[in-house]
Amino acid sequence: MIEPSLALYGDAFERVDRHLEELLAATGVRYCLLVDRKGFVLSHKEALWAPRPPALDSVATLVASNAAATAALANMLGERTFSEQTHQGENGTLYVESVGDSALLTLIFDGSVPLGRVKVHTKKTIGQLAAILKELQDAPPIQLGEDFSHGATALLDDLFG
Amino acid sequence: MSTINFAAREINCKIVYYGPGMSGKTTNLKHVFSKVPAQLRGEMVSLATEDERTLFFDFLPLDLGSVQGFKTRFHLYTVPGQVFYNASRKLILRGVDGIVFVADSAPNRLRANAESMRNLRENLAEHGIDVRDVPIVLQVNKRDIEGALPTDMIRAVIDPKKELTLFEATAHNGGGVFETLKSVSRLVLDRLAQNK
Repeated sequence: MIEPSLALYGDAFERVDRHLEELLAATGVRYCLLVDRKGFVLSHKEALWAPRPPALDSVATLVASNAAATAALANMLGERTFSEQTHQGENGTLYVESVGDSALLTLIFDGSVPLGRVKVHTKKTIGQLAAILKELQDAPPIQLGEDFSHGATALLDDLFG
Repeated sequence: MSTINFAAREINCKIVYYGPGMSGKTTNLKHVFSKVPAQLRGEMVSLATEDERTLFFDFLPLDLGSVQGFKTRFHLYTVPGQVFYNASRKLILRGVDGIVFVADSAPNRLRANAESMRNLRENLAEHGIDVRDVPIVLQVNKRDIEGALPTDMIRAVIDPKKELTLFEATAHNGGGVFETLKSVSRLVLDRLAQNK
């Protein structure tokens, strides 16, 4: 096992969801994603008025890979990490900030939202999310068992022949 | 280990195609993309150079369906094979759940196969993991080329103890692609069920 698994469930998931919802309302961004370092979406929220989001799988993968590359650059330059990344285009901005060592908070927004406001509110949310993710590290391991294995094998047979 | 999201009832696993440059890793993914029904796969992302060499990675999300109420999804990645892209390869291995090692059957690529396997061991070790702790399947690709080396000879330099399940393949026409993917998927899901 290279990376610890992140098992987000129950009360912790609901609290993460709530914090993302609050962040969305406070900042006015379009999309807000919590992504793990492997590039999987743990939770996402979008504004009601936002257009259909891009493929979130791909966004999460590229954000995590970009963060990993940025961290490698930081190490080469003698820094422990660069904790945030901002990519600004003509019409939109992608803002990514680390949530501890296990996740990345990603916000996507248009030109009407000031970056400063996003940064201020994101800092507060990150503190809350980091505390929740830390609790999860002590959660009991997940048991899937034999039935899962049999079910998965049947699916593989269906899909791959 | 796989990322499990109980609230969304999702299990996500990361499978990486590893091997020397031009051995057919991207071709494997392209074949999967072309044959899997559209509703089961996401967009294929390729970060490649102008001459179509993989620069950072290729990525293809694949939905298996639901197992015990969990939506089970594989994220398939390739790494760049060229020797000088090692930093990228190391990053892509982060959090890997299963590996397909794609070896090249061309006579002049025997050493490249061996070096790529050694590089895989070293990169995994840098992540603090022994190569025996990750499910790995060996695919010997390009079996249809003229002068293809005997499979045993290729295996002797990559897997001398014959510990890995081996599949012969011709990825450009799809031969062996799904057999390989099915095998590594099964190993990954078995380990998940055993809670390893």
